[in-house]
Amino acid sequence: MTCKNTKEKFTEYLTGQLSNKEREKIQAHVAECDECRRELESLTEIWTKLGVLEEERPSARLSTRFYSMLEQYKQAEEENFQKARPGFFSRLKNLWPRKPAFQLALALGMLVLGLVIGNVWRVIPRQKAVNTALADEVQTMRQTLAASLIDQDSASERLQGVNMSYTLVNPDDELLDKLLSTLNSDSSVNVRLAAVEALYLFHDHPKVKQGLIDSLSQQSSPMVQAALIDLMVSIRERRAVDALKSLLDSEDLNPEIKDRAEQGIRRLSF
Amino acid sequence: MESLSDSDIMEKVRDGQVEKLAILFERHHVKIFNFFLRLTGSHNLSEDLVQDVFIRILKYRSTYEGKGKFTVWMFRVARNVHVDHLRKNKETYNLEDQFEEPESEEDSPIHALEQKKDKELIQRALSQLPVKKREALILSRFQDMKYKEIAELFGCREGTIKASIHRAVKQLGEIYLELQGGVPS
Repeated sequence: MTCKNTKEKFTEYLTGQLSNKEREKIQAHVAECDECRRELESLTEIWTKLGVLEEERPSARLSTRFYSMLEQYKQAEEENFQKARPGFFSRLKNLWPRKPAFQLALALGMLVLGLVIGNVWRVIPRQKAVNTALADEVQTMRQTLAASLIDQDSASERLQGVNMSYTLVNPDDELLDKLLSTLNSDSSVNVRLAAVEALYLFHDHPKVKQGLIDSLSQQSSPMVQAALIDLMVSIRERRAVDALKSLLDSEDLNPEIKDRAEQGIRRLSF
Repeated sequence: MESLSDSDIMEKVRDGQVEKLAILFERHHVKIFNFFLRLTGSHNLSEDLVQDVFIRILKYRSTYEGKGKFTVWMFRVARNVHVDHLRKNKETYNLEDQFEEPESEEDSPIHALEQKKDKELIQRALSQLPVKKREALILSRFQDMKYKEIAELFGCREGTIKASIHRAVKQLGEIYLELQGGVPS
């Protein structure tokens, strides 16, 4: 191997993206060539040194900000959607032709269209019913699978079950109950945290809302407490204020959680 | 059955289920935060930039085509956010208010101090690298990105990226040595 060929492979050598054979070739070359060896040594040294910049965790503020931004965005979207409606009808009005001849043509056209649709309509509902039934079946299947995964002994399977419930549009009561009881009593913090996230998606469901509020008093892990508090704040659940207050009364509460709960109460009491 | 892929979720976000962005946030915000942290050295700024990334993802969600890996698209947004930030704030970062985080408790004070100095020095050296080289280096060193993905992200050939990372590491070593008070080789 020439020096040029060797040096070209240095980056891959560092990132560990070389095959054993190629690695050996490079090692063989640098054993003979002083210049290349020195360069590889100094590259490796700085590459390793970069390891002191370990992965860090952002502060809790980042999540809080994100969730309130998302909530605001959703609200704005809904308002826009409602405003957009009258606009749609007035645009429709503009489509109406001014000349009587065109009006007549349009009316005849509509009539023909109506007849065609009427005919097709008799066939479609059946097809549609089949499609909906199929979609329902898939939904039920996923639901059953998610529910059965949540019951497993291994935490990773339970986690999979919880994550799977993200994909459901309308989970049934049984699954929601399972998610709530996972949130309250699963032995793994990760699974409980995933349950918080999953339930965030279904927070419009009254049962879920109440369950989330009730869960605050049952959590012992600060991480889950923090996630729940953030969730309450982001969905602006005012009824959670009392639960947060009683959380503050509990003994040996983590000081960071205490701060966050107080902040949450302030933000919810506006 | 595995959980939904990033791309599937992003398509749902694009098609109107914006609350699903929460899943992508939970999956990736620590990763993007650390990308910015290594790029800028500042915790506060990095958190602001992460927030901007997700605001942009929402704003431009209709442009998501679902081609290629979601993370490549996401880091493209992240790079743009960073470049725009640099454009707006032409001054360099204030290195004094960086690393404000308390050190972990187990370390002895002397060891902690040394580690802190080491970290500061390498971060300072990193911040002197040209932006593009810095980005490519961080992505390959810390974000487990393949050259092919980095090349796609930068819109250039794989070979160019490899050469650029090689030069970046070399240059970083020289800057580091200089900052240490040694003589560059």
